[in-house]
Amino acid sequence: MEYVKVIIDGKECSAEKGEFLMDIAERNGILIPHLCHHESLRGLASCRLCLAEVTENGRSKIVTSCIFPVMRDLAAKTNTEEIKSMRKTLIGLLAAEAPGNDKISQMAEAYGISDHSRFLSDKGNECILCGLCVKACEEVGCNAIAAINRGTTKKVATPYEEPSAECIGCGACAHVCPTGCIEMEESCGVRKIWGKEFELLKCNVCGKHFMTKEEYDYINKKSDIADQPVCKSCKQIEIARKIMEV
Amino acid sequence: MSERIVKICCGTGCVANGSRKVLEAFRTELDKRKMEVEVVPYVKATGCNGLCERGPIVKIEPDDIAYYHVKPGDVQEIVEKTIMGGEEIQRLLYLDSKTKKRIRSHKNSDFIKRQTKIALRNIGEIDPYDIHDYLEAGGYQALRKALFEMSGEDVINEIKASGLRGRGGGGFPTGVKWETCHKIDKSPKYIICNGDEGDPGAFMDRSVMEGDPHTVLEGMIIASVALNVQNGFIYIRDEYGLALENMRRAIEQAKELNYLGDHILGSGHSFDIEIVRGGGAFVCGESSALMASIEGKAGEPRAKYIRSAEFGLWGQPTVLNNVETWANVPVIIEKGSEWFTKIGSLGNAGTKVFSLVGKVKNTGLVEVPMGITLEELIFDIGGGIVGDREFKAVQTGGPSGGCIPKELMHLGVDFDTLESVGSMMGSGGMIVTDERTCMVEFARYYVAFLAEESCGKCVSCREGIRQMQKLLTDICEGKGQESDLNLLEEIAHTVQQASLCGLGKTAPNPVLSTLKYFRDEYLEHIRDRRCRSGVCKALTEFYIDSDQCAGCGLCKKGCAPEAIEGTLKEPHVIHREKCIQCGNCIDICRFKAVKVR
Repeated sequence: MEYVKVIIDGKECSAEKGEFLMDIAERNGILIPHLCHHESLRGLASCRLCLAEVTENGRSKIVTSCIFPVMRDLAAKTNTEEIKSMRKTLIGLLAAEAPGNDKISQMAEAYGISDHSRFLSDKGNECILCGLCVKACEEVGCNAIAAINRGTTKKVATPYEEPSAECIGCGACAHVCPTGCIEMEESCGVRKIWGKEFELLKCNVCGKHFMTKEEYDYINKKSDIADQPVCKSCKQIEIARKIMEV
Repeated sequence: MSERIVKICCGTGCVANGSRKVLEAFRTELDKRKMEVEVVPYVKATGCNGLCERGPIVKIEPDDIAYYHVKPGDVQEIVEKTIMGGEEIQRLLYLDSKTKKRIRSHKNSDFIKRQTKIALRNIGEIDPYDIHDYLEAGGYQALRKALFEMSGEDVINEIKASGLRGRGGGGFPTGVKWETCHKIDKSPKYIICNGDEGDPGAFMDRSVMEGDPHTVLEGMIIASVALNVQNGFIYIRDEYGLALENMRRAIEQAKELNYLGDHILGSGHSFDIEIVRGGGAFVCGESSALMASIEGKAGEPRAKYIRSAEFGLWGQPTVLNNVETWANVPVIIEKGSEWFTKIGSLGNAGTKVFSLVGKVKNTGLVEVPMGITLEELIFDIGGGIVGDREFKAVQTGGPSGGCIPKELMHLGVDFDTLESVGSMMGSGGMIVTDERTCMVEFARYYVAFLAEESCGKCVSCREGIRQMQKLLTDICEGKGQESDLNLLEEIAHTVQQASLCGLGKTAPNPVLSTLKYFRDEYLEHIRDRRCRSGVCKALTEFYIDSDQCAGCGLCKKGCAPEAIEGTLKEPHVIHREKCIQCGNCIDICRFKAVKVR
């Protein structure tokens, strides 16, 4: 394994060659703001908030740290005046795109943004098109949603914006959404997401509704094990009990 | 009588002006007169001659006569007088806009004589539909040289030594790109030709693909030999019907004669080229978005922290060059890098094709050595401004290029100089504006174009451009505030620095450059609610100066919304509520009585 020396905001960090700058920073307690990167899904560099100024071989450039692979020794700054100012502009743009969203509003407040009056905010939803939901769906293997159109008319949708046959109602998209804008409703054993209704299965142990039938079938088909439907917390208790026995 | 060739320009511009009918008329007329003409001339359709504004263009050789604005009705006379009688027809010759004299050979016109043709060397001379015409012009000789006289390293070194830089706008040294790809021990590798030209007003790549498709193929095949690549792609935007047709035909013919395919010319090297049709997104001209599109994914760019020479199409090492760059390759291999470096300016060897459009007299394609001044380009080759109005600025590099004012007309045109003044070379679009162009509206127009064409992946580009468009629209509508200018600069800076790909990084150029060189126009819009060029409708009123109006009534007849009223020989008036400010009355009035306030 090859190692490289990285100095982030003055702190010397050791890293494997090819590691992403954001991961190295986080491991060393340096938190870089981000929205489109999730602990279980690599960032898509779409929110641009994780900007950093990198100096290698005497030359400086602005990079997005979530996807910037460190290939040689370098120095990085994540909080220069210029970066802070650009991050502020970006948060202002996000606030205009998703007005009323709690997470973005908190960020805007932290950066001292109060006036959005000169910006157009007519989109009427809280999606910032980070793309995490699409990536999560792709990872699950369903590809039920995608970004459609381009430019200012871009949005995330199912094909033809109709209930999708591919969607298993797992809710992974809603789970990873940084602004929590994907609507997922549950009542009386029915989950509603992306315009489609799903029957929820009951946990064999505790009897609570927890998973759609489509998701249960999908997992069984993929893993080839026809387990009884058991919810996450009951499963944990069961495993703990087995460990105790051993 | 010696053997004659009649060359009829069938580039897109001339075809639109009816050159196919002229071609047919020549064939019919000559067929009819077979007995009278000693040797029936060879009539052929060629690619674009560049001076599209004066098409259809017909050239007769070896007499060296070029006729402009030729109509089917002129053909009989041309056959009788010029082909049978050897006499020139004055009214069809090139009219020099400065001296007002007719010029027999088009090579002596201001438009042509200052040009140096490398990429466009064959266009307008050969029949793009016939590989033999290309072979007769020395085609595929460079490929033979690369295959049988040079090693792969020799070819790469020759391109490197020539200093050829990417003509698609990036200006990255082509030889270095090839070398990087060559050094990577991973296969398969791919070669791509970017023919997704999307800049409004630019048509050089189209012209090359339409008029000399084999030069593009030859350039790609040479690279495939040097880099040992077996598969290539040509990505052509779907709107370019003729380019698609001609490239397809060229590939077929090249395969028939074994310049392409298995064991090229009996060597051990095989290479195949596939055409991919673009779906019409401007952003697919960006290399990584283009590759995503070939892979069948949505055309979105990726960050290029690892270059495509290492990690390109399907994650494999890939060399992507633009059409014009490929067209330069065979000539460099044939004539050598030393010859090439003598053309152009320091660090910017060779020529660049520009599409000179807008308010300039001679619009069309021009190929000039890099380093030529803007003044020479616009005023000598371009012949100056239409209607001899005042020149205002030139926008170089397509929709995301900057506007360069008249104080900087002495600058030489090359990659580095243009960038240093806040513009760029881009693919070589050059839009000339005059006093009747409002620079705020000009910036707004391009920003609106880019807002629509942004892929929407990253916030800075998608939202930054949208908000810039909003602020610029407000200013054009008289709703701007002085603080908007700082806000515009602030957003522009972030979009430039923080965007993912070239589209976003360059999108603020029209805004920043107009703010820099034409700030007073912005301030006039905001403070005085005035648009000096009479373009922004909310800030403009058209009126007739009663002292100058002769009451001829021409403006009234030409006014579509019937906003002009008046009796003959009496001063007329414009009703503001009906006026749509189209400007037709200004153009019609012979007394310059229609004014803007």
